Amino acid sequence: MLSDIITPDLFAAAVRIATPLALAAIGGTICERSGIVNIALEGMMLVGAFAGVVGALATGSAWFGVLCAILAGALLALIHAFASINLRTDQVVSGTAINILALGLTGFFMEVIYGHPGTTDSAPRLMPVFNISGPTEGVLGTIWTWINGVFLSFTPIVYIAIFIAIFGQWALFHTRWGLRLRALGEHPRAADTVGISVVRGRYSAVLMSGALGGLAGANLTLEQVGSFTEDMTNGRGFIALAANIFGRWTPGGSYLASLLFGFADALQIKLQLFRDVIKIPSQFFLMLPYVLTVVVLAGVVGRAVAPAAVGKPYEKG
Amino acid sequence: MASPLLELRNITKRFPGVLANDSVSLKLNKGEIVALLGENGAGKSTLMNVVYGLLSPDGGEVFVDGEPVELKSPRQAIDLGIGMVHQHFMLIEPLTVTENIVLGNEPTTAGVIDIRKARADVVEISERYGLAVDPDAKIIDLPVGAQQRVEILKALYRGARILILDEPTAVLTPQEVKELFGVVRQLVTEGLAVVLITHKLEEVMASSDRVVVMRDGKVVGETKPSDTDMSGLARMMVGREVVFRIEKKPTVCGDTVLNVRNLKVLDDRHLEAVKGMTFDICAGEIVAIAGVSGNGQTQLIEALTGLRKVEEGTISFLGNDITHSSARQTIDAGVSHVPEDRHRRGLVLEFDLAENMILGDHRKPPFTKRGIMDPQAIAQITEERVEEYDVRSPSIRIAAANLSGGNQQKLVLAREVGRNPELLVAAQPTRGLDVGAIEFVHSRILAERDSGKGVLLVSLELEEVQSLADRILVVFEGRIVKEFAAGQASDEELGYFMTGGGGTKLTENSDTEGGESNDA
Repeated sequence: MLSDIITPDLFAAAVRIATPLALAAIGGTICERSGIVNIALEGMMLVGAFAGVVGALATGSAWFGVLCAILAGALLALIHAFASINLRTDQVVSGTAINILALGLTGFFMEVIYGHPGTTDSAPRLMPVFNISGPTEGVLGTIWTWINGVFLSFTPIVYIAIFIAIFGQWALFHTRWGLRLRALGEHPRAADTVGISVVRGRYSAVLMSGALGGLAGANLTLEQVGSFTEDMTNGRGFIALAANIFGRWTPGGSYLASLLFGFADALQIKLQLFRDVIKIPSQFFLMLPYVLTVVVLAGVVGRAVAPAAVGKPYEKG
Repeated sequence: MASPLLELRNITKRFPGVLANDSVSLKLNKGEIVALLGENGAGKSTLMNVVYGLLSPDGGEVFVDGEPVELKSPRQAIDLGIGMVHQHFMLIEPLTVTENIVLGNEPTTAGVIDIRKARADVVEISERYGLAVDPDAKIIDLPVGAQQRVEILKALYRGARILILDEPTAVLTPQEVKELFGVVRQLVTEGLAVVLITHKLEEVMASSDRVVVMRDGKVVGETKPSDTDMSGLARMMVGREVVFRIEKKPTVCGDTVLNVRNLKVLDDRHLEAVKGMTFDICAGEIVAIAGVSGNGQTQLIEALTGLRKVEEGTISFLGNDITHSSARQTIDAGVSHVPEDRHRRGLVLEFDLAENMILGDHRKPPFTKRGIMDPQAIAQITEERVEEYDVRSPSIRIAAANLSGGNQQKLVLAREVGRNPELLVAAQPTRGLDVGAIEFVHSRILAERDSGKGVLLVSLELEEVQSLADRILVVFEGRIVKEFAAGQASDEELGYFMTGGGGTKLTENSDTEGGESNDA
């Protein structure tokens, strides 16, 4: 039975499920490193998912949909940036408001554009990047099935996410952008006194997180599901936040943490297929990713230290 | 004559309700150290923040090298060769020394930081000016003296010709102060000009070429240290005569108030911060803990006042064991606490004076009866104490945040002493206060002692320790390494033991030749 559970499929599913979480989590990392809490990732993802479908349906191009998703996420993030940087609103309140706004906006435009609530028509989708046929027989066949399944079976945004995680990890610790970003979240006044613009730095970080949230949404609709359903993000934005913390506010860590959540989810889906054999109600498996989130956030994995100035509005002078 | 390096003409800066700088003019020449002397709130820091581009003035002009300049941001100030070391260091703790120094001016190729060049540059200037730092250390692991060197290097790395030091000695030991002034002297001989913002008279006398005195936002005088003395400067600064030497009656040591035995306390990182301290305080005695910040003082105070768990050892107060008492039980037993951070621990800044005045006593009569507060009783007692402790405020109904630092501290003192405790634990009671307020706080602490109460004073200011204490306990790395009776030790001797000169073991002989540090 174990060989029925542990299949290339399981790992491929883990990576697929991890992708939107990872993109949003890296968005959260960038945002919080600049000193702004972003609990609106959920809403940014949702708006991105919807805008992606709208763009793809209108033009017939899935890639145009991706662009729309990124822009929509960034646009929503602009509200958060204005509220938390210019107006110095409590960032959690602003984020909550944006999440509610996103839910309302997508529902409203659903009615306006498509004339009905619920789910949209199927949109054009992004297809797997590689389509290589390899040996199917014998030991070579098994090895090929694993390699193809675990590494080569994915759609473009999955690879983009991996690239962003690796590049982001490097950039955070080796570039001017990364150093300044870290400075902003730890001690904005210190950054200000050496001539770094806090406002500009934080705006760009929040917008980037919005764009990544939107891209995460595009992955959901244009690569995974193929259509938009109201509230389809289903808490992924919050799991992404947990992944960011678990990943200790680093892009690479966020990706790996998302992979863990993705694996938990993939495993529970797989285990549901075996409910006649395992005899545990499937609801318990469904809980797995969420229990993991709670465990992680409760600090079982050791205390992570957040950027010192995160959540605090910056006032000049 | 060449135009001055920096000239300010008629700088005026208003804040809501305050005229912080009232038409201030100042000249700074190449190769000189000018002390900007004044009490807190005199407008010194405001003026320098204008020069550094952090605040924009409402009127007046700034000239650099005789050219009028407009300073809208620190960036412009940096580009003009102005560097500032802020009173609260502008360092990012989790980053390295090198990262902090180059931040904002990073050597890069296509956005990628050339960390090797950055490190080499830091090593180069650090050697050139004799400011030793480890370029790879994280700021969080450095002592304050080293952090200050990093701040100075930051300014030099940016090519500063004008260096503004805002209260640079507040956190330093006497030796570090000496070193700092040595470095500053060397900088000016290399052609820099230095503005030293301070309210400490000895520093002005010891280190400056010229003194500009500010009071209430105005320049009230200018002189040379050689043309005046401390009391002359003090008179200019405060506007009246100031008493320096505190008249102290000899101690009459009564019963033991506090008895601490082999106390061990952990810090937030679960490392042992207090490593077995033993001491007594008797009624009518001021015992001072002298030490460099971060040698267990904070944890000791927190343990004594019920704010932190005691790992080992005992604390007994008037014969009762309070080792594991809560903060509430400790207050009720008769221990009052003037915390080192009045903003975080001493006051609720958003609360008004009356609300702050009853914190900790808020559930007791006459303030509260059967769970209901009595606003009249609260107001009456607050008015009395505000009067007695000279807390200057237009009303007891305004938020504590609106008071000046000195008045905030008097408010804390009014509450803690007004409770009539048997032991007063005062942690850095005069931090950031000016001469007038310090005088007042000191006189109240002495009055407590004279009325037969025990006082534990924790201070980083040796002057304060020396003038108030009947007995001085020097702490280093969580241990009491030396004990002196009042007047027995010089500042240098204290500094020697504070920085580990005597090893970490308590020695019995009183000479300053300490043995090897043998940390058992």
